[in-house]
Amino acid sequence: MPAIEIKDLEKKYKDKVAVNKISFVINDGELFSLLGVNGAGKTTTIKMLSCLTKPTSGDALIFGNSIIGNPYEVKRLISISPQETAIAGNLTVKENLDFIAGIYQVKDEKSKVEKILKELNLDKVSSQKTKTLSGGYQRRLSIAMALITEPKVLYLDEPTLGLDVIARRELWDVIKSLKGKITIILTTHYMEEAENLSDRVAIMSNGKINIIDTPKNIIKASCSKTFEDAFIEFAKEVK
Amino acid sequence: MRALVFAKRNLKEIVRDPLSLIFGIGLPAFLLIIFQQFNIPSEVYNINNFAPAVAIFAFGFVTLFSATLISKDRTTSFLTRMFASPMEPKDFILGYTLAMIPVVIFQTVLFFLIAMFLGLNLSINILFTILILIPISLIFIGLGLLIGCITSDKSAPGVSSIIIQLVAFTSGMWFDTSMVGKTFQTICNILPFKYCVDLSKAFLHGNYNNILMPIIVIIISIMIIYLVAVLLFKRKMQGDAK
Repeated sequence: MPAIEIKDLEKKYKDKVAVNKISFVINDGELFSLLGVNGAGKTTTIKMLSCLTKPTSGDALIFGNSIIGNPYEVKRLISISPQETAIAGNLTVKENLDFIAGIYQVKDEKSKVEKILKELNLDKVSSQKTKTLSGGYQRRLSIAMALITEPKVLYLDEPTLGLDVIARRELWDVIKSLKGKITIILTTHYMEEAENLSDRVAIMSNGKINIIDTPKNIIKASCSKTFEDAFIEFAKEVK
Repeated sequence: MRALVFAKRNLKEIVRDPLSLIFGIGLPAFLLIIFQQFNIPSEVYNINNFAPAVAIFAFGFVTLFSATLISKDRTTSFLTRMFASPMEPKDFILGYTLAMIPVVIFQTVLFFLIAMFLGLNLSINILFTILILIPISLIFIGLGLLIGCITSDKSAPGVSSIIIQLVAFTSGMWFDTSMVGKTFQTICNILPFKYCVDLSKAFLHGNYNNILMPIIVIIISIMIIYLVAVLLFKRKMQGDAK
């Protein structure tokens, strides 16, 4: 069974079409990147897939569960790390994880929190209030909060936005370690990040998917030398 | 269960922001103390009337706390994360409401302790008044939910301060509302704040003759406010998460 099956998914805001009847399949364990310039429809697509906004038409199945017909079951299977870190600022790192584990009613909560603190190198700052953490640690916590729920599908919306090079590379290592274990949909404006991390990439513009393939095949298809050039080729407006 | 976990988090967020908490409790407490020093020749400022009125006035700050917390949760995308979780609208409403109840109890008990120090006679009616103030506070917590749902974290304190002003001017806290003309009195009679003060005074005085009207108005207000809050949360969860 594919992890995600998107069928003619469309979202309109009055007359503006944000996502224009897209269809594709994402395999279980795949790291799939959604790329596009601002306003291409990436975030709207993720919002629909995570039941944060209702599609105008079409549907998507997450491990067989419809985002329209069965949103609460879908929400048990997914987790999201939004563009902003979305952490509770006055709570400590550990309290944030305990809180999310409580909301998702995670079993063996204590041992799982300890495990994820170690895995994401957050144990040193576990008793620190999150508003005092550096941007890199806040991003890492945001992903840890998404992972503690043991999701089958993880949405990472620009996870390395605003991070310095070292913090970004450290976060790449975290994301790479998840590959094959859970299905990840990543949105990013860093081409290098998409090229390095993704199994497959979809490039969107004006709410449509212009190409879906591996980064290497996308470079070949555009006859470009770099992935960034290939992206520019496919991200141009479709007339 | 999820609502309790959420309430615990919300309470921590509020009590760990001591500046607004001190302001929200300190200002009404200051007013209670200072106006008892002036010996103003009006029944409104008699400690038996002024203490329950100040407790209601302080609930305006509860509106401010809840509105600020919710709008901040929206602005920082914290609610986006929560809307993508298996939480339902009732869990959000309960979670934000339950978190405010300990604040309400703490405020109210503190004001009555100060009032006793200022001359309020100790009686069982104080306990009854504190108990009736808890359901009354739902009006103010609910208004905070509504304001938090529709305003940004920058505008929430400003909009909430309108509620604080409305409570001050229309509740009969500072003056008898019948003194300021028909139009103003009609506004006071439409808004629920006067009834909140009347009901709490009735409980403190042990005079239950005229409590039916305030009870009806307060129950209807709570029902309307919470119904709108649930609908707004449902809409936010199904639409734009911000």
